[in-house]
Amino acid sequence: MGKKRTDVLRGTLDLLILKALALEPLHGVGVSQRITQITSGAFRVSFGSLFPSLHHMEEKGWVEAEWRASENNRRAKYYGLTSSGRAQLRAEERDWSQVVKIMTAAVESA
Amino acid sequence: MPGRIASFFRNLLRKRAVEQALDDELQSAVELLTQEKMREGLSHPAARRQALIALGGVEQVKEQVRDSRTGAFLDSLLQDLRFALRQMQRSPGFALSAVLILALGIAANVIVFGVLQALVLRSLDLPHAEQVMTLQPKDAGPFVSHPEVCDVRDGNSVFSAVAVYEFQDFGLEANGVTRPVWGAEVSGQYFEVVGIKPFLGRLLERADDDHPGASEAAVISWSAWQSDFGADPNVVGTTVRIDKHPYTIVGVAPEGFRGTEKIAQLDIFVPIANEASLDGFSWLESRSYRNLFSIVRIKDGVTTPQAQAELNAIATRIARQYPKDEEGLALKLARPGMIGDFMGGPARGFLAGVMGLAGIVLLAACANLGSLFAARTADRAKEIAIRMALGSSRWRILRQLLVEAFVISILGGALACGLAWMALTGLASWHPPTRYPLRLFFVMPQPSLILMAFLISVAAGVIFGLMPLRQIFKADPNDTIKSGGGQFAAGRRWALRDALLAAQIALCCVTVTAAFVSLRGLGRAMTMDLGFNPKNVLLTQFDLSQAAYTGEAADHFQRQLLEKVSQIPGVEAAGYSNTTPLSGDTFVSAVFSQQSSDFRPSNKAFYAYNYDISPGYLTAAGTCLLAGRDVSFADTAKTPPVAIVNQEFARRLFHSEHAIGRYFKDRDGVSIQIVGIVADGKQFTLAEDPEAAAFFPISQKATTSTAIVVRTRRDTADMVAALRGVILDLDRAVPIRELGPWNTALALSFFPCQVATVALGVFGAFGLLLSIAGTFGLASYTVSKRLRGLSIRVALGAQAKQILSAALGRMLILLASGSAVGILLGVAASRILSAIVYQASAQDPFVLAAVVFTLLLTGSMSVAGPVRRVLYIDPANLLREQ
Repeated sequence: MGKKRTDVLRGTLDLLILKALALEPLHGVGVSQRITQITSGAFRVSFGSLFPSLHHMEEKGWVEAEWRASENNRRAKYYGLTSSGRAQLRAEERDWSQVVKIMTAAVESA
Repeated sequence: MPGRIASFFRNLLRKRAVEQALDDELQSAVELLTQEKMREGLSHPAARRQALIALGGVEQVKEQVRDSRTGAFLDSLLQDLRFALRQMQRSPGFALSAVLILALGIAANVIVFGVLQALVLRSLDLPHAEQVMTLQPKDAGPFVSHPEVCDVRDGNSVFSAVAVYEFQDFGLEANGVTRPVWGAEVSGQYFEVVGIKPFLGRLLERADDDHPGASEAAVISWSAWQSDFGADPNVVGTTVRIDKHPYTIVGVAPEGFRGTEKIAQLDIFVPIANEASLDGFSWLESRSYRNLFSIVRIKDGVTTPQAQAELNAIATRIARQYPKDEEGLALKLARPGMIGDFMGGPARGFLAGVMGLAGIVLLAACANLGSLFAARTADRAKEIAIRMALGSSRWRILRQLLVEAFVISILGGALACGLAWMALTGLASWHPPTRYPLRLFFVMPQPSLILMAFLISVAAGVIFGLMPLRQIFKADPNDTIKSGGGQFAAGRRWALRDALLAAQIALCCVTVTAAFVSLRGLGRAMTMDLGFNPKNVLLTQFDLSQAAYTGEAADHFQRQLLEKVSQIPGVEAAGYSNTTPLSGDTFVSAVFSQQSSDFRPSNKAFYAYNYDISPGYLTAAGTCLLAGRDVSFADTAKTPPVAIVNQEFARRLFHSEHAIGRYFKDRDGVSIQIVGIVADGKQFTLAEDPEAAAFFPISQKATTSTAIVVRTRRDTADMVAALRGVILDLDRAVPIRELGPWNTALALSFFPCQVATVALGVFGAFGLLLSIAGTFGLASYTVSKRLRGLSIRVALGAQAKQILSAALGRMLILLASGSAVGILLGVAASRILSAIVYQASAQDPFVLAAVVFTLLLTGSMSVAGPVRRVLYIDPANLLREQ
């Protein structure tokens, strides 16, 4: 459901979150740090967008949440990708590279 | 999908757990961020502060997460709803008055719309009613003559059926009892036009109407079958007597069919071919005797313009063929059901006017509520500021206020539905004061009205709910909280609500002016000179043809009756005529000058109302004979024709009132000598300009239609009994339809005027009520907001006058300017009224004085409370309190 994304920003954020979670389950702050890391500090996601997105994905079944102890023994809510989350990630990656290809071609043609 | 549905329910039902989890998650995020910052070398408090800044506020994030959840909208809507209901509980007075104000405003609209729908918008309840039309002669009444319709019937290719009908008052004798019933004489294709299936037996067919006496068949309505024939399944084939002539009932019409007039309820249908035997004289072949309503059905696939085009061609052909009677004939297709289309125009005009007033009242109610809401929003400025500071969006706050407005408007709408339902049910079962079978408001409350009420409530809710919009969007929480709330817009600058109040007062003035104009008009109509004096006069009307009298016999009966009636003790004067003024049964005919030799209608001098009267009628009716002589029984068919005319007649024909001994001609070219002059009077409606009238000796032209006028000194109740006794003594078969004081019989003439006055009076009263509520509300609000400032002024020694002008000066300016604009508007609008209400004029000084006085009175009443409060301010008390 909802594979098609017209909202580029929202789509980009979802893709980044899914990508961030691809390696291992993370808590909210972890996701934020991971995104900063994988975009070499270019993107800083505000928590006001991040948490709603995570909850939205949880409702859609792309991620699963689990409470466990953090690296320094604090309780935190960890989000991990489900199989439908992985499928969504692949789909969004494909869509994204298509968009990039098309846009690059369009921009360079001019 | 199932996951989403599950989360929808989880979000709604397990709210607390979900909220707790969210809170935990964010707390843990804060801690994680704090630790991170501490690792960068900050102290715990500083790190925590940085963490909160990085997060962007725990509550704000929570709110954003909540908004992203499935069912978030519904959830917050429920919250708003609960909050709205709590708010209403907190101020039940406000809630109650708001709901009431709105309910009255909406009910007024729904009721007017209901009547409008029944009389104008809804078509007749027939199969394919959109194809059924009436032929409306241009620039004339609704009537056509029989030969005209026959020409249309036989010469067209666009109508599948063409028919005429005429209302008729029958004496129906069934099972040994004679009862007057209203019915119609209909032509052969009538039921083809109508297109209904009989409930029992058959309906009238073409063969029934082939020639006079072709059949003695009658069709009765379902309700007559129920009431007069006890729902007898074997009624078909029963013989009854209609005006003493035997008829056979051949069928029963389906339930709900009572003829093709929206406001008339007919019970029996007979072939029009038998007209001569029922009416006593024959007019079927006469082109000038226009007394029939027409009804046609357009063929499938033919458009109205096509039908109209062919109709025009036929009318032109008829006019060319019969120039004497049909000159200038033009027939227009119109919607049937309103006495042809005759009443359609005035009814539409009046109802549109009333609808406009109802709209104004609703607008005023909305303006009223809007300013109350704006004032309340101002009071709640602090609450709103705090909510914004806590992370609520402006849109969310606006939605909250809108929900409150909707709750009030929906409650108001529901109450309005109840009110309208009661009022419409009452109207539907109410019969206007007339001998005609009218049910003026054939209105049944319908589901569409509920929809209408709902739509109006929603619109009203939006209108007044959005009034505080500006306040919310310009509010700066920081400022508001600092300044302590209440100060925001409390009477410093001109606020939206001031404009609203002025507008509302102006609108209310319009309704008040309209009410006074029509009251004044009614007052004048009640006391004006009718040209006769109905006081202490009894009137009875019947048609002797229903007791099988014709010509000579009728004349003999009438004279005998007059003699007997004159001998009743207490009778001052008595006379009879074929009809009486303002009875609705009046006739006009063309008058030609003595020199005329061409009697085409276009060559006429004018039309005059015709009455056939007996000696003594003028005295009994109280019509003043100014000069000449009364008619006498010595005027007979063998003596030269004579007439008495009124002043207007003489003025129009001779340009002077010296008419005695002079002559005029009727449309048959007969010279008639004028032997008397009577005073002018009303003939057809109260609102008409003076009309010409001519009174002919009834002994020169016998008629069965009888109106007996008896001027009496005695108590009317005794007299009614005595009169009835005398008539029935002479012949028990005379079907007396009406016998009573003339004033009662005239009620129908005063009726439109009374309806208008009642309707406008109600709206006027309602408008006043609204303006009092609005003015009072705003004045007390202003005073209470500024009480502190005023107290300081009083403490510093300000005089009562200064205090008053400071507190309420603006209110008074608003009141005065609103009233001035309203009166001007009202005067303009009242011009429209003069069409319905006789002599209604807004330029009348009495009306203007009354309006101004009423407004002054209500204005001062509504500010009296707040003024008192201002004048009795005890500064010490107040300053201590705050």
